[in-house]
Amino acid sequence: MAEEVPATTATASFTPYVHSQTLTTHERAVSSVKFSSDGRLLASASADKTLRTYTINTDGDPIVEPAREFSGHEYGISDVAFSSDARFIASASDDKTLKLWDVETGSLIKTLIGHTNYAFCVNFNPQSNMIVSGSFDETVRIWDVTTGKCLKVLPAHSDPVTAVDFNRDGSLIVSSSYDGLCRIWDAGTGHCIKTLIDDENPPVSFVRFSPNGKFILVGTLDNTLRLWNISSAKFLKTYTGHVNSQYCVSSAFSVTNGKRIVSGSEDNCVYMWELNSRKLLQKLEGHTEPVMTVACHPTENLIASGSLDKSVKIWTQKKD
Amino acid sequence: MNAPIIDPLQGDFPEVIEEYLEHGVIKCVAFNHRGSLLAAGCADGGCVIFDFETRGIAKEIRDIDCSAAITSVSWSKYGHRLLVSAADKSLTLWDVSTGEKIARTILQQTPLQARLNPGLTSPSLCLACPLSSAPMIVDFDIDCTTLLPVAVPEMPDVLAPPQRSKCPESNPPFSPAAACFNKCGDLVYIGNSKGEILVIDYKSVRVLALVPVSGAAPVKNIVFSRNGQYLLTNSHDRTIRIYENLLPAKNVLKSLEDLGKNIDGIDDGVEKLKTVGSKCLTLFREFQDSVTKMHWKAPCFSGDGEWVVGGSACKGEHKIYIWDRAGHLVKILEGPKEALIDLAWHPVHPIIVSVSLAGLVYIWAKDYTENWSAFAPDFKELEENEEYVEREDEFDLIPETEKVKVLDVNEDEEVDIETVEKDAFSDSDTSVEELRYLPAEPIPDTNDQQDNLVESIKLVEGQISASPASEEAVQNGHGADHVLSPQGEELGDTRGKRKRKPSEKAMELQAEKAKPSKGSGRTVRAKSRAGIDQEIDDSVNDADDDDDDASYY
Repeated sequence: MAEEVPATTATASFTPYVHSQTLTTHERAVSSVKFSSDGRLLASASADKTLRTYTINTDGDPIVEPAREFSGHEYGISDVAFSSDARFIASASDDKTLKLWDVETGSLIKTLIGHTNYAFCVNFNPQSNMIVSGSFDETVRIWDVTTGKCLKVLPAHSDPVTAVDFNRDGSLIVSSSYDGLCRIWDAGTGHCIKTLIDDENPPVSFVRFSPNGKFILVGTLDNTLRLWNISSAKFLKTYTGHVNSQYCVSSAFSVTNGKRIVSGSEDNCVYMWELNSRKLLQKLEGHTEPVMTVACHPTENLIASGSLDKSVKIWTQKKD
Repeated sequence: MNAPIIDPLQGDFPEVIEEYLEHGVIKCVAFNHRGSLLAAGCADGGCVIFDFETRGIAKEIRDIDCSAAITSVSWSKYGHRLLVSAADKSLTLWDVSTGEKIARTILQQTPLQARLNPGLTSPSLCLACPLSSAPMIVDFDIDCTTLLPVAVPEMPDVLAPPQRSKCPESNPPFSPAAACFNKCGDLVYIGNSKGEILVIDYKSVRVLALVPVSGAAPVKNIVFSRNGQYLLTNSHDRTIRIYENLLPAKNVLKSLEDLGKNIDGIDDGVEKLKTVGSKCLTLFREFQDSVTKMHWKAPCFSGDGEWVVGGSACKGEHKIYIWDRAGHLVKILEGPKEALIDLAWHPVHPIIVSVSLAGLVYIWAKDYTENWSAFAPDFKELEENEEYVEREDEFDLIPETEKVKVLDVNEDEEVDIETVEKDAFSDSDTSVEELRYLPAEPIPDTNDQQDNLVESIKLVEGQISASPASEEAVQNGHGADHVLSPQGEELGDTRGKRKRKPSEKAMELQAEKAKPSKGSGRTVRAKSRAGIDQEIDDSVNDADDDDDDASYY
C-alpha cells in the first residue's frame, strides 16, 4: 500500500506509484536489482548465492516474470550489472570473485579473479568492453571483458569500496568508500582526477553518475543523500527523511516522468523525492525489512526494489 | 634549425614507451577516426584490430586466399570499412563489424599505400600508390582503375587525356609518387619525382594546380593534417616541408575553377597551373636534421595538427623526432634498436604508435607524474618551499566563533541532470552512426580453468613470487588448436594469470624490485606458444601497474 505525503504546493501532476507485484524467488536477502538498458530484463542478486533474471512484459500493465537462475558463486552476491546490449551480466560476490554470465543461456562464461577480499560492487562501461569492480580490499579494479584480465588496479581508498560507476561515455569512474571519500578516476589511464569530500566525512555507502555525467548522487551513512557537482566539487542538493546508517542502500535517478530521486531505506520503505525541489513525494510501503536496493526502468514508470525480506517488489504508476 | 629544446614538461606529446602490442609480425598500423580502434596489418596476410582502450584484440580479419604481407591499412571515415593492400597486388575492402569481405581487386603492381576516400560515409573509392607507376583511383563499385597523371605535359593543352592505358606516360621506371586525398575527398594531391605537388580532380582526371617544392627532390610522402589545414611532404632531400592549405574546406572544386578563371593574361599551361597552385598552398616550414642529415620515414601530424612527427629511416635505430609547428624540435624519442617501419599519432590523445622491424607495435605515452592534490583536495602542490609568516592572532583560540559554519549552498537552484553537450571533438557530421567500438566477446573459461579456480584464489592470497604449483604442467599440456587461439592465450596465460594478480603488497614489492625505465610492456598474444618465457610473464606483472602501485599510500 502506498502512502501519499499531503501536497502543499502544486504536485497535482504527481501520480503516485502503487505496488504491483512481489517476486519471492530468492531464499535469502536481496542485495541488488538492476534493469537492462533496453528495459526488457530485470536482474536481482542475493545472499543465497544466486542471480535471477526476469522478463518484463510492458504491453498493458507491466508484468515481471522470472526467467533464469544463475548459480555458481560460493558465497552470497552483493552486486549485479548488465552489459549495454544485455547479453552478459556480471556479479560481485563474497567469494572474492566476479563472474560473467551469458544472459540467454544462464551459463557461466568467465570468472575474474584478483580481489583479495569480498567483491562488493560491479559495473560495465557503456562500450561494455571493460568491467569496474570495488572490493573490501580497498581497491578498484578494471577488467577486460574479452580476456578477463585485470587491466588496472587503482589504490582507491583506505576502507572498503562501496560503489563504482562509469559515466555515460566511459571515460570516468567514480568510487565511494567507508573512508568518507568519493574519488573520480580517468578510466583510460587509471589516474585519480578528483576527490570529493565534505567537512565531515561520514562513510559513503553509495555513489552513481547522473545521466549526463556531470553530477553524482552520493548516499552517506548519516541518513543523507546529496547531489554533487563534479567540476565545482560542491554539493547542490540534499535529500533527507529516510533512514540510512547501517547498510549500503542504493538509490537511483528516475527520469521517465519528471526528474526524481528514488532510494531505499532502513525503515522498510522506498523514498521518492523531486530532484530540484527536494520535496519528499512518496514513501512506498510494503517491505517488512530494510530496502537495500532500488532500480528505475529506463523507459517505463516502473520501480523495482529489493529488500532483506528476500523479496523483490515492483511498483508502477496507478493508471487513472 | 637547432633551436633549444622546449621544456618537455609543457608539451602535450608522449615521452616513454608505455607498452607494446604483439600479434605475429605487424607491418603497418592505422587508427580509426576516434582512436578507439587500431588496425594492424601483418606479414602473414591477416589483419588484426586492437581495442585501444583495453589494448586487447577486438577482431581478426583474414582472407584465406591471401597470405602475402600487408602493405597498408586504411579506415573509412566512420570506421565501418577497412581497406587492406597486400604484397600480392591485391586490394581488399572489408566490412569491419561483420568481418566480411566486400570487394577485392588485383592490380598490376603491388600497392604500397592505399587510402579510402575520406569524404564518403561508405566509400568504395580509394587511392592506391603502387611501387613503380602512377597513383591510381580504384573504384570497387564499377571495378575500374584510373591512372592519375604525375606530371604536367609541357604543352599548352592542360587537359591531359584520361589515362586508361597500362603504361604510365613519361615516368622513369622507379619513381613512386606519393599521393593523398584532401580532407573532404574531392581532390588528390600528388607529389611526384620531379619535386612538384599536383592538385588533381580525380573525377575528371585533370591537373588543376601545380606547386613546385623547393629543392625539386622526389617526394616520398605526402600527408594532410586531420583538420585539412596543413599538408606535409617528405622529400628525398631529407627535408620535411609543411604547407598551409589556402583552399576552403568545402566546395573546393568550385573555388579552384574560379581561381583558374580569374587569372587573366597568362597563357594556359604550366605557368597558369603554377599560379593557381600558389593560391592553394604556401610553404610554412621546413624541418631537417642538419647534424645527421637523416632520411625520414612515415612523417605525420598529431591529431590537433600542433606537432609534426617523423621517424628516422636509418636501419638499426628507432628514433622518433617531434617538432612543433613553429619549427622547433621538441623531443627525440628513442626506442629499442630495431628499425622503424611505420608511425601513427593517436587522433585525440598524446600517444604515438610505432611499428618496428621486428613486428612489434610500441605505444608511446606521456610519463605521468601523480597529481597528489587529486587525492586530497585541501592540499595545494607547491613548486618549491614557501616561507610562511603567520599573523599575530592566527593561532589564538576563540571558542565561540569556531563552531560557526555558514551553509551557503543555494539548494533551490535548478539542476539539470540530463542535458548532454555536443561533443566538441567531433569534426564530422553527427547524423552518421560511427563505429567506435567492436562488441566485446568474452572468451569462455575452459573447464580445467574453472576447476583450478579455488587453487588459484588460494595462491593469490599466499605467496606471489613463488613459482606456481604443479597445476601448470597440466595446463601446458593443452596446446591450443588453431593459430588464432584465443584459447591458447587463455591457457598459456593462466600460468601467468596467477602470477599476474597478486595482492597489493606483492605488486608493490615487485614494482620496486624491477622497475624498467622504458617499457617492457604487457604482451597481448593471440598465437599459442607453449613455451612462454618466464621473463615475459614476469614483466607482465608489474609493468602495467607500475605507476599505480608505486603511488600506493
